[in-house]
Amino acid sequence: MSAVETVPGTSTPSRKRSKWDEDEGEDEQLTYVPQPKKRAKPKSIRPAPSASENVDSSRSASPSGSQSTGSTSRQKPTHSVYVPPRTHHPPIQASRSVYSYERLNQIEEGSYGVVYRARDKQTGDIVALKKLKLEEEKNGFPITALREIYALMSCRHENVVGIREVVVGDTLTQVFVVMDFIEHDLKTLLGTMPAPFLQSEIKTLMLQLLSAVRHCHQNWILHRDLKTSNLLMNNRGTIKVADFGLARRYGDPIGVGGLTQLVVTLWYRPPEILLGATTYSTAVDLWSIGCIFAELLLKEPLFQAQGELEMLSMIFKLLGPPTKNSWPDYSSLPLGKTISLPSPQPHQFRTKFPYLTSAGLDLLMSLLTYDPEMRITAEEALEHPYFTESPVPKHPDLFGSFPSAAAGEKRRKPFNSPTAPRGANLNFLNDSNLSP
Amino acid sequence: MATLYPLASLAQIENTPSKQDGIPDDLEEDLRAYGCKLIHQAGILLKQKQVAVAAAQVLFQRFWFVTSMKQFGVGDIGMGALYLASKLEECPIRMRDLINVYDLLLQRASHALVGKSVDMFQYHPMSYFGNTFYDMKDALVVAEMQILKRLGFNVHVVLPYGTLINYLRVLELTNREDVCTKAWGYLNDAHQTPVYALYQVPTIVCAAILLATRQLQIPLPSEPPACWWELFDADWEDVWSVGGSIMRLYRKRTEEEKNRVVGLVNKKDVRSWLEENAPQAGSDSTSAMSVT
Repeated sequence: MSAVETVPGTSTPSRKRSKWDEDEGEDEQLTYVPQPKKRAKPKSIRPAPSASENVDSSRSASPSGSQSTGSTSRQKPTHSVYVPPRTHHPPIQASRSVYSYERLNQIEEGSYGVVYRARDKQTGDIVALKKLKLEEEKNGFPITALREIYALMSCRHENVVGIREVVVGDTLTQVFVVMDFIEHDLKTLLGTMPAPFLQSEIKTLMLQLLSAVRHCHQNWILHRDLKTSNLLMNNRGTIKVADFGLARRYGDPIGVGGLTQLVVTLWYRPPEILLGATTYSTAVDLWSIGCIFAELLLKEPLFQAQGELEMLSMIFKLLGPPTKNSWPDYSSLPLGKTISLPSPQPHQFRTKFPYLTSAGLDLLMSLLTYDPEMRITAEEALEHPYFTESPVPKHPDLFGSFPSAAAGEKRRKPFNSPTAPRGANLNFLNDSNLSP
Repeated sequence: MATLYPLASLAQIENTPSKQDGIPDDLEEDLRAYGCKLIHQAGILLKQKQVAVAAAQVLFQRFWFVTSMKQFGVGDIGMGALYLASKLEECPIRMRDLINVYDLLLQRASHALVGKSVDMFQYHPMSYFGNTFYDMKDALVVAEMQILKRLGFNVHVVLPYGTLINYLRVLELTNREDVCTKAWGYLNDAHQTPVYALYQVPTIVCAAILLATRQLQIPLPSEPPACWWELFDADWEDVWSVGGSIMRLYRKRTEEEKNRVVGLVNKKDVRSWLEENAPQAGSDSTSAMSVT
């Protein structure tokens, strides 16, 4: 959590904070200052520590001794940051009922289920409720939903959509994931906004995206479906990575047990997966980020291919076909020998992105690199000179706000043009409409 | 920093749901341990990875802090926990395999219950047209869902093995293979106790090292102000209590006690046991009520 404070380009937290964010920053303290945990439900309230029993309070919460024994006169050692006090751990708590929320409107429906906008009856917070489809499941709770919930819970970050809880309905097949409601997704926004993002804005968005992905990778989670429609954006200039439906844990060594190639939306899919690799890694997410970067610059997706072969040829065209130097392992990939490479030619980055600075172009090319081993990592990308050269990243608070399609708001027309004089036109319209 | 794993609250520890239903402490303890043994045995027969088995046992132990054994049997919940943990650890198993293995384990246990020797045991596979499989499958699906629901889908588990290796390195004990093996074994055995749902991993690892080094008579700095466990953010009382929980596993049980546990794998058996032993259980619960 301490990373939250150092992330570049995070917005100042909005004043309206949910009861779920309260503990942020506390973890940074080295010594233990007891605080009544508000998160706990009344059922499990711990003895409220008073100032005088400062030292003993965490001990009394520990299962061993509720009373002070002889040796408690000894000063309790201060805890290191690696082992927070026991009281910081959440209690074991059952899911609440979905009736804690009031359904407002449907946001979207996908293969995974339906998403609703809802209001928390207790706090009044607006949230997104995602109903999981469980009826046709033959193998118990679907592993994909399990991965998504697990990934969201273990990757809490300023730029990852926040999971609040998982609630249940009356039967065992009704499960809803409760997430923060975010007004926009980047894809719809790019399609409707009047002018493209400025360089300074793109830098801020990229920094946020990269720090979210770095955080996921640090927690051993691959996203595997990064694309603009999975990036949500609020009206305070902060983007949140969402939809961890294809995410999964990975280990070291990577890909034990094999990974599926049926991941990442085609336009954002890296060449190694297109060529059938089963032991891919964090680099797949970085390729997708490269595609997103290009899309922010172009205001339209970079590779709009119909099929996998067309996708590969588009990549070959932009990057130039892979060579022994640019991708040593190319020929050892399952499909590496079956595809005939076009004749060698230089890359086309400069012609495609004529207005990008050389630092920006370097970052883009480092992300869209053939060899996954040579592709830049999220950690390295965050240190790229592109982000420090002028124009510097814009502070998120200075971003404009947009009408939210998900909340049912409509873009207001920039101006209302005067209507034509009534009398004259009416006759004309009537005439033409009446003739059959 | 990653999200912290959940631990039982003080109220949950003092008054477990099973206790509220009149199940005595020692019986709950033994049933927990037996459920975990079944998970372990099933894991071995399925050639499942130890990480999945250990994670299943942790989830299993957490479950009984929010649910009474009168409501669900330790057999079903153990099966559900192993199925769920296998998905979480990215090594899913087939329902049919798991059900077959549990059927075998339970048949073998009830065979021993009537006093026959293990050599005489012969497994009778479930009938192709019978309902056993479908009943067990339904129970498995319900168990998995109930675990998820009652744990609030917070199924984050942190296993202790990596921490043990680090601590043994710090204590310069890695060259003593006997210490490593013993401490590792205590960590595994601790999975049959509720400690992973009660204490933080460093405390449990310290207890395992404490037991191993005491048994092998290896002195470690233990006088204030230089106590080795303080280096790892553990409190002596907690370490001692975890050690006690682990050692209680090895306590001699009478035949009667052993059979009682094996006979109470199902919730139906637990319910009828509670009816038979109601007067005693009733007085227990009332005395507990008057204390609190």
